[in-house]
Amino acid sequence: MTADFVALLATWCIATLRSATPLIFATLGETLTQRVGVINLGIEGEMLTGACVGFTVGVATGNPWLGLLAGALAGGALSLLHAGLVLGAGANQIGSGLAVWMIALGGTSFFGRALVGKQVTPLADLGSPLTDGIPFIGTVMAQATMAVPLAILATCFAAWWLAQTRPGLKWKAVGESARIAGENGIRATRVRVTAIVVGGLLAGFGGAVLSVDYTQTWAQEMTKGRGLVAVGLVIVARWKPALVLPVCLLFGLAEVSVLRIQSAGYAFSPHLLGTFPYLVVLVVLVSSHVFARRASAMPADLKAVFA
Amino acid sequence: MSTVMRFPLLASVLTAACFLALAAAFFAALGKPPFEMLSSLVVYALGDAYSISQTFAKMTPILLCALAVAVPGRLGLISVGAEGQLHAGAILGTGLVLLAPELPGVVLIPLMLIAAAIGGGLYGWVPGMLRARLDVNETIVTLLMNYVSVLLVSALVFGPWRDPASQGWPATMKFPQGAVLPAVPDTRIHLGLLVGVLLAVGLHLFFNHGKWAQKIRILAGNRKVGEMFGLSYAFWVVALMSVGGAIAGIAGIAEVSAIQGRLQPTISLGYGLTGFLVAWLARHQPLVILPISLFVGALVAGSDALQLFAKVPAASAVIMQGLLFATALAVPGLLARWRTYRDR
Repeated sequence: MTADFVALLATWCIATLRSATPLIFATLGETLTQRVGVINLGIEGEMLTGACVGFTVGVATGNPWLGLLAGALAGGALSLLHAGLVLGAGANQIGSGLAVWMIALGGTSFFGRALVGKQVTPLADLGSPLTDGIPFIGTVMAQATMAVPLAILATCFAAWWLAQTRPGLKWKAVGESARIAGENGIRATRVRVTAIVVGGLLAGFGGAVLSVDYTQTWAQEMTKGRGLVAVGLVIVARWKPALVLPVCLLFGLAEVSVLRIQSAGYAFSPHLLGTFPYLVVLVVLVSSHVFARRASAMPADLKAVFA
Repeated sequence: MSTVMRFPLLASVLTAACFLALAAAFFAALGKPPFEMLSSLVVYALGDAYSISQTFAKMTPILLCALAVAVPGRLGLISVGAEGQLHAGAILGTGLVLLAPELPGVVLIPLMLIAAAIGGGLYGWVPGMLRARLDVNETIVTLLMNYVSVLLVSALVFGPWRDPASQGWPATMKFPQGAVLPAVPDTRIHLGLLVGVLLAVGLHLFFNHGKWAQKIRILAGNRKVGEMFGLSYAFWVVALMSVGGAIAGIAGIAEVSAIQGRLQPTISLGYGLTGFLVAWLARHQPLVILPISLFVGALVAGSDALQLFAKVPAASAVIMQGLLFATALAVPGLLARWRTYRDR
């Protein structure tokens, strides 16, 4: 009985983690972008592009790591368009992000047609004779891939980097006021371009993890709003990388519950169940406004986007 | 962040030229003769009565969705929820038709439009209330809510609303004749277009000349000043978000009733997103939305036909829209930059 319970708990834990992993990368990327005072809704398109390119390269080379790398680079490259429009041409950030999303939607549905039904070599699991048979840990390791610890490490690193290093301080200063940062010798535009591209790389990587590691298939528009969920979760995480992990796990848990209810054979409409993760994010977003003051956490230059 | 607020002639011409160049490059990249493709695009969009009817049919939901974005936009709100509101309107409008299909058209059509407006309006009211009461960002809420109502449409037509006669195809029963919006004979130009044009004119008058025009402008410019004049920001947030939603809801039921003839999952080709970008290009001015939505409608209809006759991939319409909007975002800003550089 206890052993069964531990095994069940372990399956849920690792399923939640794996479902949340692509989102963790994307949310982390968007957090960093927003910390310098730029909002990027194009992250949805960058994730989708990362998923498409990552899957293509993964299939072509048979090496999932090359796929993840290619996905990250594709996301980063697309984010340059947002950076160019917003910083180069002074375009509206919301409009630019949506235009980037639209280009990615069209582009991936065009190039993705060739990918439907293709098989990709997934990442190896972390199970080993060393951990096999240990309750909980054995189950978790057997179902985890390197993407999971990478996501956790990336958030820890970003949290440390932003809080403890001098470049991190510069980024935060630019987010509060690019003008004052500039007057104090910080190249604000360069920082912003870097942050947008880092966000794009992470979103693209997250997208590639989604297609190569998590679903292991390609489907048109397969990110299903994960990038936009990420933008919402940044607010819930109060622009703090350290909080990215827990808020993304909530989404992961919601998604896993849906999958479990479906596979348990309950006669629920899969479409109706599909609304659940979005509703969870909405509820979490609203409650974060009820229970916490948001204004103080928001980078000051970001407020100008919505004014 | 400096943005050119107006869209002067030079910027418009340059935008069009850059877009044409990009579109030509896109066709060349597909291995199609670019100039032939561009000219057939124009022919397929405007060449004969059928093409023109298709263009107006595509323009209608884009126009309504753009107005749905522009209404809250006048207060400085960024709503990207037209897609979700469109589906919510389609659900409530269809629900009414399924409830009383045998009513005569004179009664059923107005009731159906009202139900759709209520559905879309409620779907705009929710983010409006959240924004007004709790200061929750309306952009994110509307973006996420889009996915919910799209899924709800699928849940209904795969489930309780599926017509048993449709042999497994996820769709409701065909709308009775009394629930089909009147259209110009032998075309797909229907009542929805008239509603859209009238709304555009009405909203132009309301926002520029009416009793409330100046008050809303003050409130949009500076909330505190507006409130000193006794205007309630919260009231106008909720009101304009709801009205915007109602307009998108009408777009939804118009697609269902006049174009598809039944509720099914594919009622919108991303009209909500297109509408957002059209509204943004028009700087939320209803009368400017009219020509831009006609142009984008022509682009969508033309690429649809091109896909059929020239074997251009289906995604071309979306890619070209994306290119159009990216160009329109880039050109005015770059032009302004170049002017400052030259004048230095």
